[in-house]
Formats: sequence, structure tokens, C-alpha cells
Amino acid sequence: MILDLFRLSLRNIRHRGLRSWLTVIGILIGTAAVVALISIGQGLQRAISSRVEQIVGYNTILITSRGLNLGQRIRLDIEAIRAIPGVRNAVAVRTETAYVEGPGGKGFLAVLGYDPAMDEFVAEMNLTVSAGRALAGRGEVLLGSRTARALGAQVGDEVTIEGRKFQVVGILQALRAGGFATGGLSMADLLVIPLPELRELFPGPELVQYAVVRLSERADMAAVSERIRDHLRAVGERNASLTDFEDLTRNIQSVISGVQAFLAGIAGIALLVGGVGVMNTMYTAVLERTREIGILKAVGAKDTHVLLLFLFESGLMGLGGGALGLLIGFGVAWAATAIVSRVFQAQGAFSPVLSMALVLGALFFSFLVGAIAGIFPAYRAARLPPVDALRYE
Amino acid sequence: MSTALVELQGVTKIYRLGEVEVPALREVDLRVEPGDFLALMGPSGSGKSTLLHILGLLDRPSAGKVLWEGEDVTRLNGGRLAELRGRRIGFVFQMFNLVPNLTALENVELPLVFLGVSLRERRKRAEEALVRLGLGERLHHRPSQLSGGQQQRVALARALITDPALLIADEPTGNLDTTTGREILTIFSALNKQGRTIVLATHDPEAAEVAKARIRLRDGRIMGGTP
Repeated sequence: MILDLFRLSLRNIRHRGLRSWLTVIGILIGTAAVVALISIGQGLQRAISSRVEQIVGYNTILITSRGLNLGQRIRLDIEAIRAIPGVRNAVAVRTETAYVEGPGGKGFLAVLGYDPAMDEFVAEMNLTVSAGRALAGRGEVLLGSRTARALGAQVGDEVTIEGRKFQVVGILQALRAGGFATGGLSMADLLVIPLPELRELFPGPELVQYAVVRLSERADMAAVSERIRDHLRAVGERNASLTDFEDLTRNIQSVISGVQAFLAGIAGIALLVGGVGVMNTMYTAVLERTREIGILKAVGAKDTHVLLLFLFESGLMGLGGGALGLLIGFGVAWAATAIVSRVFQAQGAFSPVLSMALVLGALFFSFLVGAIAGIFPAYRAARLPPVDALRYE
Repeated sequence: MSTALVELQGVTKIYRLGEVEVPALREVDLRVEPGDFLALMGPSGSGKSTLLHILGLLDRPSAGKVLWEGEDVTRLNGGRLAELRGRRIGFVFQMFNLVPNLTALENVELPLVFLGVSLRERRKRAEEALVRLGLGERLHHRPSQLSGGQQQRVALARALITDPALLIADEPTGNLDTTTGREILTIFSALNKQGRTIVLATHDPEAAEVAKARIRLRDGRIMGGTP
């Protein structure tokens, strides 16, 4: 009998044609919006996790100023940190703004100190050379692609940094995105000279943007972190903070989750409005079919039968809207990420994630919205006294 | 005295229209015996429809008792009444009251749906009922595609599909032309001859003539019958 009621409900929905579609579209839009936002958010989280892992790595500690503020510099001695047991390698990123003159231009530019220890991080730091060769000794400089253009310099030319002459031995590959690893600066805008010479040009206490510490396998992260903190205290640096991969991922994830929850909440309002649409349709249906309800009761329908009939109707419309919204929402998310990836040529283009939980959740929730919206109209229909319903014109 | 099919004892029905109380029935006593064919007559507003609704368990009296086969059903809950209606009573209305978006066949099946009869069984019985009433060619038509007489026959098939103890008809010929009306009355008469108990309300003297007994109502009271 339940199946028969179900069939009747389906038929009533079909019978209303356009109006049913409009109602379903209300739910569809809400579900599509929620699904699109959540699947994009999950895709973003996955992409960021893997990117962070790529850049930072599991066994890595970042030393930055508090709040990851790369503009605020910190005092540390990278050689001392490298000497801590359990540390396999450590590099500090130090840039200074210097007056630079080239054959075809001059200006204040950022100069990065190159440390052979950085070789391990070449790919991550986008230090790959596209023309010429890497730094091999004193008096040599690498230019970022934009810097080379600005100075009108090529491999073999000479540039003057703070009055000292350097020979251009290579141009850095014009890379995709400027990285976190470069301290927020694009490699295209840098000059790279050996660290000892940077120290000579800018004497005084060494202040760095950040440092990356890579641990040897099986090193105790907590113990190493503690030794680094000891060192920072010893040199009087109070403003530094340590972040490991898990911290970083957790922080980023929590920000994304927050934004995602906020957006999904807004999209949820659309779903709520869709539910109100269902309620409106169902109230109208009860009014229109009052006489029919009377007939059903005259031929033996109980209140529960009538209640179920109308609940199925609203629930089915919710479910239908949810299923279509799921498809369309994922389609929209897919298209949106494809466009974003293409426009920004983002490294490691990301795609939306449609998890099983999201699929089931969207279907269940849209059915629930429909059914809840139908409760009051269905209850009203069920409670109609048969004789009044039959008399209704 | 044997048990009546339905018995009304001192039934009063009062409708409330805002502040005003309108009595539709005043202390009506009535016995419907198995095999009866009663015609309720009287001007509009005399209480014919109200009486039918109470006999058919579609409405409850304000005072008095309704006995179905000896059992007091006045205080039964809505679900039990719905079940009794579904199993024991068939209704035919002046306006036919078919469900517009169901076919003739599906309309006739409807009472069996609520009794939980299987689809195959329902189909078979509904088809037979329609064929018997000469609608074998109209099984899959919707009410809007049928003439008034055909619609009333579909309604009749629906009323009879559960083999009810009591057939209740409210002005069944009221919306039909004379010829079609006569056809319907012939069917009623034949049904009664087969032993079906029928109560109908009508204005139409010809319809009343077909019945075995006539009861006149005026202002909610039974004025007398012609056996």
C-alpha cells in the first residue's frame, strides 16, 4: 500500500507539471550551491595539503616571526641551528634591498643571499636556472627574469650592487607562481648573490625572513624544536615562532573549513528558501485537492494515508531537487575550478572533490527539507473532516 | 426484531456558522434493514445530505447514536470509521467525485488500495466491474474524457468494487439528463433486486419511484414515509 501511495504521489507531482518543476528548481538551486561550495572547498583543502607537503615536507620545521608575518624579520644564527643534533639541513632566507645598476637600468631591488645548503631546496625555492649556470663563487650573481629585463642585463654582463661589481652567470627560470618558500617575493624580481658577500655588503646582526629546518630521519621533532627555541632565546629573539608541517596544514585547513562552513551556510539559506517553496506548493495542493481528499476518505483512506500521500509528494520533490542539484552543483564546481586553474595557471591545478558523505548528505538533506516543508500542509490535509472536504467547492 | 444494518437513535446534528447554530437534523430515528431501498425526499436544506453523511459514517452526530449492525459506532475513532467506510459502504455523489488525474480503472481501484489489495487483484476486479457496467472501452480514459453518464457509472463501479453492505447515493441523477438518469436508476433497481441495500437522497420523483420506500424530510425531521 505504501508503494501505491508513493505511485499516487509521483503521479500528482507529474500532474502539476510546470509548478512541480519550479518547486523542484528551488531545492535544486539550494542543493547545487551547497554541493558546489563544499566540493570546491574539499578540493582546495586536498590541493593545499599536498602543496604544503611538497614545499615544507613532513620532517620540516619553519621558523618565522609570529603569525607567519614574513615582513617582520627575525634574528638567528643558521650555523648554530645546523649544528643541533637531529638537524640534517637548515637554511635561512635573508634578503636585503640594495641599490643596483645594470647596463640598461638601475634601482632599488631585493637581493637574496645564496647559501650552498640551499641546493637541497632548489626546486622548492624556485632557484632553477634557465640560462647560464648556477652560482659557483664570489663575484657572481643570478638575476630573476623581470630583474634582468629591468637592468637590461644578460648572462656575461656586469651589474653593480651597492658599489661592488658582480658578473651575471645565470638567469632564474621564470616560474609559475611566486612561492611561500621565497618569502613572499617572486623569484622573478630578485637578484641572488653568495650569502657571505651579502653579509659583507650589509654588515651587522643577521636578520632573516625565515628559516627552514629539515630533520634527519627518526629525529625527535619535539626535542629539536626545543633546542631551536633555546637558541632563539639565547640570541634574544622573542618574536619567532616554530611551525611544523602538521601545524601549518591544520591552520590552513581550519581557515578553509571556516570559510567553507560560512559559505555553505549562506548557500543553505537558498535551500531553506527552496523548502519554503515546497511548503507553498503543498499548501496550494491541499487547497486545490480538498475535494479529492474528501473522496479518498469516503472510499476508506485513513488520516495516515492522506498524510503519507502528501509527505511523499513534498519529500519526492525535495529528493528530486537534491539529486539534480547534486549533479548540477558538481558540474558547476568542476567548471569553476577548471576556469580558475586555467586563468591563474595555478601550479598543481585542483579539482573539486565529491565525497560519498557529500552525495548522501545532499540527498538526505534535500529529502528532509522537502519532507519537513510538507509536514504542516500534509497534517492539515490529513485532519480535514471528510464531509467538509467533500462539500468544498 | 432482527438487527438493522444501520440504525439512528435520536440523531441531532447542529452546524455552527459563527455565532449562529443551524440544526440540520433534529432527533431523527431511522432503521435501514438489509435489502432495503430507501429514497430520502425533501426540499434542499431539509437535511437529506446530512442524514446520508451520518448513515455513511462521513460525519458524526451532535447528539444521539449510530448503530452499525448493532454496534455503537458514534464514538469510534477516525481510523476505524475510515476502515468501516472502506469495507462496508459505497458512495455515489451528484458531482460524481472522481479523482481527475486518475483513469477510470484507477478510480475504481482506489478503495481497494486502502484495503491493501494487490495491484494484480485490484486491476482484475476493477476491470470486471467496469465491463459489467458497459465501460469496457473506457478503462484508460480520464474523467474529463467521459460523459456525465459514463462518469456516474465509473463512480458506481467504484462504490461497488468492495462489495459493500450499504450503497449510499446523494442525488445520483441530479447532474444527468433524463435518459441517462433513467439508465442509472435501472442499475440501482437491478442491484437492489440482487439484494443490495440502498439509501438514496433525491429531488427527482422518478428516482424516488424506483425505491421500495420513501421517507420525507422537512426542517431536519422525518415527516413520514410511504411504504
